[in-house]
Amino acid sequence: MLSQQLVNGLVLGSTYALFALGFTLIFGVLRVINLTYGFYFSVGAFVALWLARSFGASIWIALPLGSLAAGLVAVVVDGVLLTRLRRTKAGELPSLMVTLGAVLALYSLMAALIGTDIQRFPFGFVGSTALEFAGIRVSLVQMLIVGTAFVLVAVLFLLLQHTRLGLMIRALAENEDAARLMGINVDATVVAVSFLSGLLGGAAGVLIGLNFNAIQPFMGEAMMLRGFAVIIIGGLGDIRGALVAGILLGVLEVLTAGYLSSNAKEAVGFTILVLTLWFRPVGLFGRAQVKRA
Amino acid sequence: MAEWLDDFLFTYETLIHALGIHGLLALSMYCVMALGQLSLGQAAFMGLGAYTGALLTLKLGLPFWLVLPISALVPALVALIIGGPTLRLSGVYLAIATIALGEVLRVLYINAESLTGGALGLSGIPQKASLGLVYGLLALCIAGFWAIGRSKIGRAMEAMREDEMAAGVMGVNLPLYKLGALVASAMLAGLAGSLAAHSNSFIGPNEYGFETAVTILSFALLGGIGTPIAPVVGAVVLTALPEVLRPLADFRLVINGLIIVLAVLFLPRGIVPFRLRRAP
Amino acid sequence: MFRSFLVTGAVAVAAVAVTPAFAQQTVTVGAIEILSGPSAAYGTAIKAGLELALDEINAAGGVLGGKKVALIVEDSAGNKDQAVNAARKLVGRDKVPVIIGPTLSNEMFAVGPVTNERKVVTVGTSTTAVGITAMGPYIFRTSLPEADVVPVTLKTAQEKFGVKTIAMMYANDDAFSKSGFDSMKAAAEKLGLKIATIEAFGSKDSDFSAQLTKIKGLNVDAITVSALVEPISGVVLQARQLGIPASVRFIGGNGANSPKLGEIAGEAAEGLLVGSPWFVDKKDAINDKFVADFRKKYSKDPDQFAAQAYDTMHIVAKAIDTAGAAESDKIRETLLKTNHTGVMGPFTFTEGRDPASTEGVVVLGMKGGKFQILQ
Repeated sequence: MLSQQLVNGLVLGSTYALFALGFTLIFGVLRVINLTYGFYFSVGAFVALWLARSFGASIWIALPLGSLAAGLVAVVVDGVLLTRLRRTKAGELPSLMVTLGAVLALYSLMAALIGTDIQRFPFGFVGSTALEFAGIRVSLVQMLIVGTAFVLVAVLFLLLQHTRLGLMIRALAENEDAARLMGINVDATVVAVSFLSGLLGGAAGVLIGLNFNAIQPFMGEAMMLRGFAVIIIGGLGDIRGALVAGILLGVLEVLTAGYLSSNAKEAVGFTILVLTLWFRPVGLFGRAQVKRA
Repeated sequence: MAEWLDDFLFTYETLIHALGIHGLLALSMYCVMALGQLSLGQAAFMGLGAYTGALLTLKLGLPFWLVLPISALVPALVALIIGGPTLRLSGVYLAIATIALGEVLRVLYINAESLTGGALGLSGIPQKASLGLVYGLLALCIAGFWAIGRSKIGRAMEAMREDEMAAGVMGVNLPLYKLGALVASAMLAGLAGSLAAHSNSFIGPNEYGFETAVTILSFALLGGIGTPIAPVVGAVVLTALPEVLRPLADFRLVINGLIIVLAVLFLPRGIVPFRLRRAP
Repeated sequence: MFRSFLVTGAVAVAAVAVTPAFAQQTVTVGAIEILSGPSAAYGTAIKAGLELALDEINAAGGVLGGKKVALIVEDSAGNKDQAVNAARKLVGRDKVPVIIGPTLSNEMFAVGPVTNERKVVTVGTSTTAVGITAMGPYIFRTSLPEADVVPVTLKTAQEKFGVKTIAMMYANDDAFSKSGFDSMKAAAEKLGLKIATIEAFGSKDSDFSAQLTKIKGLNVDAITVSALVEPISGVVLQARQLGIPASVRFIGGNGANSPKLGEIAGEAAEGLLVGSPWFVDKKDAINDKFVADFRKKYSKDPDQFAAQAYDTMHIVAKAIDTAGAAESDKIRETLLKTNHTGVMGPFTFTEGRDPASTEGVVVLGMKGGKFQILQ
């Protein structure tokens, strides 16, 4: 039973990590708690759902197109909401606030247009067969989630460390003014980061919607609070940290529910979050810069 | 008094109460934002005040004049505990720590069933918060903040908001001010929560979560933080708005959200942009 | 203060005020339902049921000798403050004698004291929590409380399928699910079922693997779940995914009683048992007509929320008609005596203003993605 619980934890943790990747990227580079991120998550899931239902698209088509759509939405939303504030260097507070208002409007608009009934991908969209190995059961979707989480982290890591775009993004994360002075096209880099985070959010939405069979406009909202915990525990802007923290959180939640009490499951994330803030605010690996006040 | 007036008061009684209580909550937000800090824990502090107040009234039958100050002190204590480590960090951390506080408390209310009623909440709380009391306290708080704002303390607060580092260099005791503001704001929110519990007669564990925190923040952001009146005006507008927009049903929240977006983008100082004049 | 002062004076005023009310050609009834936000699906179904009944009532000549019944539906967005504001508006400004709703038990706990104080009859159509009608003499409900339905379901499971050991699961953070679970636990203990474990989850959770893996190791005969339909679907799907065999039946509370369950969970929900005060395929003339008319008007199947609302509207209209005037006090009296046979079967209120009969309760089993009456 323990091994099955560990697998459960790995899968759950991978969903947290998937969700947190784009979130930590925006936060780390653009210094904004962008609450519209949860909306990109919902957009990805709904676009993929629409493709699957209307055109019979397979997962291999619906997943990239859903993610792509979410990425484009992210670029538009970011451009409309945050360009002006970025130009006036308005800071964390107004940026947070504007995304807050926007996400309320966007979720509600989506709910008014689509309805709040939960929906699911067609049966058989992805084979529901589960593999059984030494008493442990894992479904195809679950393997897809864990695999995607690891692959995306690797790709993102390579992108940031070994490409020109990655260099520009890291420069921007370090210091915007300095990056501009060094001749980096800051505006284009911001667009790229928004697109990437939207893409990641959308992909997470499709996969998580697929795994839990519960797609509805507010699905991103429920993930948001755990997302906060993961990006702080992993360290702001730390991609590998998000993966490790996500999986850690997932495993601990599952073990708590399995062996202690399922009532305590929800408190796990926030307890670790508070402990992190007390003892190690830089996050697990201590890579993120913490601005001391 | 005419019957229509009685009906009018009945129709809007909850709303009038809510306007006053939300005014107090907006002030509790103002209290931290005036220093350039961001707390998303106002809802959590409000919930603590509400549960403390309701339990003291229901289980111990304490008189209301004693219940109110205790409902303010309990959240203040919690603010001290979480403020210590997080105020050393940049604002984002305080914001997230306070969100976490709200969730931890929610889980606590749900699980401490014998005391808090779990998911069913506490009902049958006597209605002891009269309109006079709510608005009296609100007026008192506005006057108090006004006086503080015009004093030396107010100047230090504004200096911190404009440029924290410079204020520190000029000799403002940053940690003391920040912690003081957080504690004061927790007390105010606790007070408002207790008043709300004693006017609604029912409280539940899911009322003090992220959404409420966001709503309280939006009061101060819409109104602005130039004067203590401004956030209260913001609270009044945003509390009345859902009622005004009632006929729009589905699209009400869309408009509510858009108003926040537009206010932040185009009215960065809020809809009441004036600043306090300083005493000479 | 001034209200008690008013009462003496108001009697004289009321006599005058009543005359123009008689001249009006409509009787207005209020309703408070969730029409926006994440739980809008419930309120929308209820509104549809109410309006279908309303059309029939008015087509048949209305009430009180030819007056039309009008319905004002206010949105609570699932928020108890907005529900109270809506109730106050309906009572204070629209002066409705009867309010139907609100949708959730939580909202009812906030609205009840207000409307009861103003002596306005309030009829919940979907509020199943314990203690609703205890709030005051003006608070009614037409929905069978879980405490009446669940024992029937569990008893059927025990007698028909030999269920002895059960695991219980519930959403611990909303009043509906928690109160349903309390009733289930009481019923299970009374029937002498062995409870192997009790596992909680959050109503917005989507992962239940930890709890289910634990349950899998306990070899139970059945798993009971009290929650709204979304998490129940998730629980059922994940249970089968984790290899809990189909021989382990799920037994649902009121929340499971929704066609959504089959749509989302599909085969995984096969065999799930649920007790219901109403069922779409129930074969009688009244129900056939209701289902056909509902499909025609809204081009989808009604659910139990729509059915309960549909009956409630008829019951309320009947009470107004026999009361002889659109006055809350008289309607309260006649409601207590109203005897109506609707889609839920024969209906009367108890002294405690709850539904009197559990006769209409049917136990349903999931077969091929659809509920069927258990033979």
